[in-house]
This record gives sequence, C-alpha cells and structure tokens, in this order.
Amino acid sequence: MIRFEHVYKTYPEGNEALQDVNLHIDKGEFVFVLGHSGAGKSTFLKLILHEEAATSGKIIVNGFDLTNIKKKRIPYLRRSMGVVFQDFRLIPSMTVYENVAFAMRVTNVKESEIVKRVKYVLSLVGLSHKKDSYPTSLSGGEQQRVALARALAHSPKLIIADEPTGNIDPEMSIEMMELLTAINSVGTTVVVVTHEHDLAHQFNKRIITIDHGTVVGDDHPCKFAKGGRRG
Amino acid sequence: MRWSSFVYLFGQGLRSMFANRVMALASLGVLIVCMLITGFTGLLTVNVNSLMDWLGSQNEMVAMLDRSLSEEDYQSIGKQILGIAGVEEAEYISKADALNQMSGEMGEYAELFSELEGEENPLYAQYNIRITDPAQTAQIIEQVEGVQGVEIVHSPESLIRTFLNVQRWVQFISWGLVIVLGVVSSVVISNTIRLTVFARRREINIMKFVGATNGFIRMPFFVEGMTVGLLAGLISTGIVLGGYHIILQKAMLYFQGWEDVVQQVVLPVSELWPWVLAGFSVFGLVLGSIGTMASMRKYLDV
Repeated sequence: MIRFEHVYKTYPEGNEALQDVNLHIDKGEFVFVLGHSGAGKSTFLKLILHEEAATSGKIIVNGFDLTNIKKKRIPYLRRSMGVVFQDFRLIPSMTVYENVAFAMRVTNVKESEIVKRVKYVLSLVGLSHKKDSYPTSLSGGEQQRVALARALAHSPKLIIADEPTGNIDPEMSIEMMELLTAINSVGTTVVVVTHEHDLAHQFNKRIITIDHGTVVGDDHPCKFAKGGRRG
Repeated sequence: MRWSSFVYLFGQGLRSMFANRVMALASLGVLIVCMLITGFTGLLTVNVNSLMDWLGSQNEMVAMLDRSLSEEDYQSIGKQILGIAGVEEAEYISKADALNQMSGEMGEYAELFSELEGEENPLYAQYNIRITDPAQTAQIIEQVEGVQGVEIVHSPESLIRTFLNVQRWVQFISWGLVIVLGVVSSVVISNTIRLTVFARRREINIMKFVGATNGFIRMPFFVEGMTVGLLAGLISTGIVLGGYHIILQKAMLYFQGWEDVVQQVVLPVSELWPWVLAGFSVFGLVLGSIGTMASMRKYLDV
C-alpha cells in the first residue's frame, strides 16, 4: 500500500527533512505516524501526495511508483486515497453536500451514484442534517467530519488523516478516532499523522515514530491486547 | 467526460461567476473599457480609410486624342484604354460634347462659342479615365500615352501621391494604435483575471488534492472567463454601434448640403455591425478564456 525505500528529501534551502526512510504499510493496517513538530511528518505526507518529490529513494503508494510518475497521473494517485487535512481544506463556496460530492465528481461518477453515496457518508459521520450548510457555519469538529466524509466519498482503500485531532476538542477527538477505527474495521487502511504522543498510545495500533527526519521506532500492536483503546 | 459532468462544470462556472460577482464585474468593466477604446479607434480608422479612398477616386486622368482621327478611331482607342489593367472606366467626350460643356460653364458668354462649332472646334476629343488603384497612376499614364492616337494625358499625379501618403500614414498610425490598445487590453484583462484566480487559489489547491485533473479545474474558470468576455463583447458592440449611430446623425446635421458625400464616405451601421459584433465577441471570448488559462497555470502546478 505504502512503501518507502531509502527515501531522502532535502529542500532547496538545504533543510534535510527526511533521511534514509524505510517503511512499509500493508493493506488494512491502522498506523500512527508519530513525531514532534519539525520531525518530518509533513514532508512524509507531502511525498505520499506527491506535493513534493523525493530527492532520492523509491516511494510506492497504492501501486503508483512516485519515482518517475508523470504529471497527468498525479490526479489518479490522489484519487486512490482519501486525505483528511489538519485545516480541513473545505471549499467555502460549496455546501457540505457539494464539498463531499466534489471528490466523486472529479472521478466522473454518475450523478445518481453521487447522490446515494454522499447521503451515505454524511450519515456515517452524523452530518446528514447539515448537508445544505456552508463550511463557515460549522464548528471545527463538524468541519473535520465533513473532511472525513469527503475523504470517504469515493471509497478509497487508503485514508490518511493529518493531525485529525489538532483543531478539535478532546471529546470530538475521541469521536473522530472511533470513526477512523470503524472505517479501518471494514478493511480500509488508515494512516494517522500526529504529534500527540498520548493519542497514539491510547489505541493498540502500530506506531511509526519519526524524529529528525529518520524513523526511530516502529512498534506493532500488542497481539494480546484488545483492538480498542488502552486503559 | 460525462455529459452530466460537463453540465455540472458549466453550471459551476456560471454559479461561481455570480458568487464572485465583484471580481467578475471588475473584469467585465475593464474589458468593456478596453473594447470601447479599441472599437472607436478601429471605426475612426476604417472611416478615414474610406474618406481617403473616396478622395483618391475623385481624381480622373484625361487622355486628349489626335484631332485628325475619325469617330471610329476614337471608339477603337476607347477599347484599347479600357483594355489596360487597372482602368475602371473610360468615358468618351467628343469634341462637340467638350465644347457644349465649356459653353455651358460660361453662362452669359456661351454665345462666343457658337462660332467654334463643327470644323472650327479647337477642342480635343477626350477620354475621362477612372482607375481602380490610385497607386498605379504613373504606370497607367505611361500605358495610355502609348496608345496610338492619344496626344496628351493630364493627371493630378502629385495630388494623388499626397493622398496616398496621407492614407498610408493614417493607416499606419491608427492600426498601430489598435494593435497597441489590443495588447494593453490583453495585459490589463489578464491581470484582472489573475486577481480573480489569486483570490481563489486555495480553492484550486483543494481541488488538486482531491484528485481533480487540470482540465476539470479549468473548465468552470474557462466558462466564467468566456462568459465575461462574451458579455463584454456584446455590451461593447451595443455601446460602440449606438455611439457611432449618434455621431453619424450629428455629422449629417453638421454637413448639411453635403449629405451625399457623407453617405458615400462614411460607412453605415448596417454595413459595420456584423464585423463589430463578430470582432468584439471573438476578442472577448479569446481574451476571457486565454487570460483565465494563462493566469491559472501557476496554481495548477501542485
């Protein structure tokens, strides 16, 4: 699903954001990518989305080899995953419904299917009643859930959540994590990028720790613990 | 692309034009101002050209014929003159016609000419020659002079040369002005559109990250740009032609007694409107769409 082999990323100004990163995330996994601010998490995410290209090394995401990916293939790479951004990235001029439907429209899906699917994902995140609202009239937690609904709209096999609890209150954070766990339980791979150590350790999931651009830890879930939250 | 997607994107373009109506109005206003300046300059140019053409066509050359020749010879000379490339018309004036014309112009002294009729007529039979292109005057004079039986050719050649020079300069300056204004309009409109796109760069960025192709993102902006461009073209056509019509009416009042000349020289709205409409519509569509595309490129490259 996601494979990094000896990946280096150095920005033009000389900042070595990632150094010799090797990791492999399989289908159906739930993984936390943990690291403090400036550790290289954002670069990791940018490389997966091909917002930035690696300086060297090999990256494969959902079958797309990003080493020499052609520009016109990038939209198809991005459609193969759903991303929940920390700042939600909702289009302010579109309603909740339109924001979610948009992710399906770009994939040229029939209008009747869009109507059905949007209705379903909005009910999944509990926002059916807000479908005609504009993002600016929603709370942070609600916007986060719209972003998740949009990420789920085109049924991707991989969901990436960037600091999903960063802009919402603790109660909402738990609710969001429970939603992500539920999504993972039906076979969707979930990667949560976070700096919150406690949040990552609250669940019995694999944790990849990045520090100063290198992978310093890769802890797999304890086989004997239950799948849910610890303690 | 599915038809439903096309309809959606088209609608999205119109919707976002309404949602961003302040910027759309700014683009529309800038485009209209540019088109009006370019349009009025263009109309002035075509009319000055038409005036110069008319003035040029008023100059006739006159071929005086050998007095010893018969009427049949004169007719055959006429055929030879008409056969010269560039000669549009050759009007035969017999010696008697020339005398009548002259005595007619003399008014009360007309009787003095009565003694000059018949064999005593000292005037030449002549051909008044009109040519299609005043620039060819010199060559045509040479050829007419070469026709056997033609004695002298009179032509206001220096006057024609002056007209041609004036016309050349008017064309050069006014078309230069139209081109410069066209380029300035393109730059101004592309900057205005760039502002519109800049204001929505985040929206474009989001679209990129949910996997929209460049074509998909461009389409609504493209529709928006084309609609604004077309609207500006139609409004400008109305204003320019309306303004031109009013100016023409005022000109007719001002040049009372010269209506015939004004009508011959000035191009009427009925002749101009298809060109103005087509020109402005195409200009608007091209500027609106290409301006949008060029302004978007920077934000699509993520």
